Amino acid sequence: MGSAGRPGLTVEGATKSYGATVALEHVSLHLAAGEVHALLGENGAGKSTLVKILSGVVQPDTGAMTLDGAPYRPHTILQARAAGVATAFQELSLPANLTVAESLLMPRLSKGAGGLISARKTERTAAAILRRHGLASIDPGQAIDDLPLAERQRLEIVRALHHASKVLVLDEPTAALAEVDWLFDRIRDAAQAGIAILYISHRLAEVRSLCKLATVLRNGQSVATVAVDGASDDRIFELMVGHGKRAGIQRRPAAPRGAARLEVRNLATARLGDVSFQVAAGEILGVAALDGQGQRSLFYSLVGLEARSGGTVTVAGRDSSPTRPEGALKDGLALLPEERKTEGILTSLSAAGNIVLPIMPQVSRSGFVWPSLERQAAAEPARAVDMSPRYLEFRIGDLSGGNQQKALLARTMATGAKTLLLYDPTRGVDVGTKETIYAAIRVFTEGGGAVLIYSSELPELVRIADRCLVLYGGSIFAEFEGDDIDERAMVAALTGHPGAARGPASPEPAS
Amino acid sequence: MSADVTALASRPADPPASAARRPRWGRRLANGAGIVTLLYLILYALYGLWDRGAFSAYAFTNLVNNAAPLAIAAAGETLVVLSRGFDLSVAGVMSLTNVVMATYPMEGPQGALLSLLMCMAIGGVVGCVNGAAVAYLRLQSIAATLGTMIICRGLSLVILDAPGGTVTDFVSNTLTDQLFGVIPVSGLIVAALAGLWGLVRRTDFGVALYTVGTDETAAALSGVSVARTRFLAFVGAGLVYGVAGFMLTAQTATGNPNGGNPFLMLTFAAVALGGTSLSGGRGGMIGSIVGAATLMLLQKVLFSGGVSSFYTGIFQGVVLVVAIVFSRALSRLLDGRRR
Amino acid sequence: MTDRPSRVAATEAQRDARGIAPLRPEAIAAVATFVLSVVLILASRFVSPALGSWDQAATVVVLASFLIVVAFGQGLVILIGGLDLSVASLVTLGAVLATTWIGSSNDGAIYLLPAILIVCGLIGAASGIGVTLLGVPPFIMTMATGIIVGSVALGYTSGTPRGGAPGILIALMKDDWAGVQILIVFVVLFAVLAAILQGSTSFGRKLYAIGASARAAHVAGVSVTRMTILAYAMSAVSAGLAGLMLAGYSDGATLRMGDSYLLPSIAAVVVGGSSILGGTGSFAATVGGAVLLTTLGTVIAALGIGEGWRTVIEGSIILIALLLLRESTFAGLKRLLGR
Repeated sequence: MGSAGRPGLTVEGATKSYGATVALEHVSLHLAAGEVHALLGENGAGKSTLVKILSGVVQPDTGAMTLDGAPYRPHTILQARAAGVATAFQELSLPANLTVAESLLMPRLSKGAGGLISARKTERTAAAILRRHGLASIDPGQAIDDLPLAERQRLEIVRALHHASKVLVLDEPTAALAEVDWLFDRIRDAAQAGIAILYISHRLAEVRSLCKLATVLRNGQSVATVAVDGASDDRIFELMVGHGKRAGIQRRPAAPRGAARLEVRNLATARLGDVSFQVAAGEILGVAALDGQGQRSLFYSLVGLEARSGGTVTVAGRDSSPTRPEGALKDGLALLPEERKTEGILTSLSAAGNIVLPIMPQVSRSGFVWPSLERQAAAEPARAVDMSPRYLEFRIGDLSGGNQQKALLARTMATGAKTLLLYDPTRGVDVGTKETIYAAIRVFTEGGGAVLIYSSELPELVRIADRCLVLYGGSIFAEFEGDDIDERAMVAALTGHPGAARGPASPEPAS
Repeated sequence: MSADVTALASRPADPPASAARRPRWGRRLANGAGIVTLLYLILYALYGLWDRGAFSAYAFTNLVNNAAPLAIAAAGETLVVLSRGFDLSVAGVMSLTNVVMATYPMEGPQGALLSLLMCMAIGGVVGCVNGAAVAYLRLQSIAATLGTMIICRGLSLVILDAPGGTVTDFVSNTLTDQLFGVIPVSGLIVAALAGLWGLVRRTDFGVALYTVGTDETAAALSGVSVARTRFLAFVGAGLVYGVAGFMLTAQTATGNPNGGNPFLMLTFAAVALGGTSLSGGRGGMIGSIVGAATLMLLQKVLFSGGVSSFYTGIFQGVVLVVAIVFSRALSRLLDGRRR
Repeated sequence: MTDRPSRVAATEAQRDARGIAPLRPEAIAAVATFVLSVVLILASRFVSPALGSWDQAATVVVLASFLIVVAFGQGLVILIGGLDLSVASLVTLGAVLATTWIGSSNDGAIYLLPAILIVCGLIGAASGIGVTLLGVPPFIMTMATGIIVGSVALGYTSGTPRGGAPGILIALMKDDWAGVQILIVFVVLFAVLAAILQGSTSFGRKLYAIGASARAAHVAGVSVTRMTILAYAMSAVSAGLAGLMLAGYSDGATLRMGDSYLLPSIAAVVVGGSSILGGTGSFAATVGGAVLLTTLGTVIAALGIGEGWRTVIEGSIILIALLLLRESTFAGLKRLLGR
């Protein structure tokens, strides 16, 4: 069928508010059949709301959508699917209690005798779907729970592909994928078949290699649709952020390294073997790794959230083996955890309450919390992360993701710890907040603090780390220093490529 | 990226996260129904040791009759607990159906059938209210069902303000009798319920129920109607509580506006003992039924073992905690060191 | 710092400013429940001139005092996302110990009364240990504790508690001091201190944090285990204290004394607008909930409405309160005020 004959999907003037919060305002979008269209925008710009509207999860307050010329207004995911629109969600929507086959076919599994579900038929149907989309390696009878993250992401995509006969929405489909060839092949096949594809990604390089057009959302509004080829990165950033080129921080010259603040010798845990390194005062040590190489275990075992099976850790020369984060704080180690929503913020408390939680004794007199002390204690670290003081009184759950993350960073600084362990501190925050966070980390180290930082985004480490470790399979695979921290060399090391292994510039005193 | 790099990268990233399929029997055992069955058998052996009549059809029928109301109530509660909810209305519905039956007795088998339908209708209506409040109005389930339970309790008092009423002979005798002199009739009813559950599990609703309890967001994004699933869980539970009230009436042969009260806590004890996770998504009705039977058997064993009735509570409490701690430890062991 | 991107922060600031007004649902709930109680008492005057007097208000406070004390502990446990089903047994235990250890005289009351509260606290701590260290769900753990304690009280008194209450407790409950009932002073004092403990101490703040997310609180350096155990201990102490008060009020103890406080204690917390899932709410609002429920009970009783309908109305109040306290109601309020 000729894709040119079909108009595809249009959105005209879609508006959506949640309570008093306006998430989308007069957004318009046109997806042509057979084309890959990018949707760009900072976090909180309204991308996920638009995705939810397209997939029938929520309904717009005003505005109209048409699909191939006919009105399109899905009220459920199933109605959207029936119309040929399907979505691979960013938050990976595969229920952990199901098998691969069940999750693919939900909510209607294959029936056998007497109208009852037949596991065999379900698996057979699922196997055929997996084969069709080049994923025959996955066993349809396997539990989702047992699948690695990357496989789950592929499965999420396959499920969307299976239902998308007209429009396919991919929300950050490469977040957990180290390798994108499989996905890009699928996208090109789908486009060839006349399916309109909405591609959402933070990675401009991917957008450039896949998409012709890109629509940019900012503050809930669609500000422009541009030809990707004709727009420079700077132009696109400008559209996303709403002002000129952001103030770029250049790699700073290597600071003179002070005394070792954090020293880790032969640290081992269930998923980490024999890791040794040190972080000096004033130093930012980066950790790069693909998903699940033991980086979480490294950070969490340092503060007592995970058990160690060996090794020693000293902080400022003193032995540190906390069994709880509380003990780690006493040793001068503060962690910014991975999951902002479940491990970080305390939704129902104010931002100030969140910041001062670890230092309650400092803001109270004989057990009573003193509001003035609390405000004071929260204001200073808030200033350090450039967080407006008027947010301190708000429930943190009502703040944007970026401000939540700033508050959490402020909390680690408020503890007075001289060594910060920052696990992916810029995950899911917008460009502006990222810059603020980099700046705050810089200031912290300039004041003599030491920082161990893991990031899922290599360019970030390239920009801010003084040295960078690469973890692979639970041990340090390579180490880069200063100007050697280079994205291309690190990519190879990330995947454990033998040629990329390299030792530190100066041998470690340990071992 | 060069070809060999991508090949390496596409490997499952983390070696310790084994992609091997865990054996299904392991899951079955780990979900706790196995443990409680074992506990039941051990207790029965003790009972036999202390009371020679324990293996007679009469003694067994007695046990089954005693356990049936609780077992059915717990089976109903399981539906709600699986969907990650709590339903306190179970106690209210049982009282209400009990007094309604005792106030409006209907003779003969047809009368009993009508009574049963009436009980289920009452339970169904209460279930609809609960379901609407929790699934559509999004009230917290403990709080909302606390409200409906208290209302049902009040209505029971309005209908019958003191224990009494009449229960027909058919209900109180035939339903607590044995079929062919061996099989307890109440046991058949429980078995029928278990059989029905076996079918429900293999419907889309059954799968959706577990999915909603495991991960509501993922379920919704997978196309499951979370609200409808929750609603149906409460309605189904209400219908089953109606049956439980019916069997309670058969067993006690009288009406009591407070008759359902003791079942509030016991129901949850039975569900938890049966290996159903109170945070949803794991477990099943069979476990709850065996859990209920175990709780009732425990009383019998303690009695035949000569423990003063004053102190049976101590044993019940301790067994409850120990069984749950033990099954948690075992399921963690079988789950391996994942995460 | 020259490279701090303040302009970017400004755009984000604008975005966050959309529609957030610091409107505290807790404050509204507290005021609303008190206002409703006063209105109820005043309105009852229209029905019968004998009602709506100061005396009636004082009676309400006296009757509500037990509930207020129990609901404080219950509220702390609910605040951290738990539920304490053992309060009924602990109320009974407090009363039983007061009458058996001390009896009608005042001998040793000065150290025996604190000892009773300590015993209760230790029992509560045991529940807390079960919840935290053994990982038993709060629902089951406190139920088991309740069953065990109830059984011990039963065995300890051989089924019938004897003896009167210590004179000091009777004085607390019945005597006047300069024309003001001591109990009213005591309850007001208790409520103020308890509200401060929950709302403005570092202990209370940590409980809110645990209720919001135990995992996040742990990561932030809160000693979750210790605080949780403490919360359960406090709940048990409050229940025990209510037991002492009840013993003084009725000059004796009965084994079912605490039963009528379990569900109302949960209801008071819920009607006061706290989430049953923890992390929100205030004790002032809980007191309001307790007073409202008690007022309702006394007014209805004074009107000569039977226990059945009274219970029905109580249940309905819970449902209505839940409906009114929904997030969406507050979102609507915010929108109205925002315009």
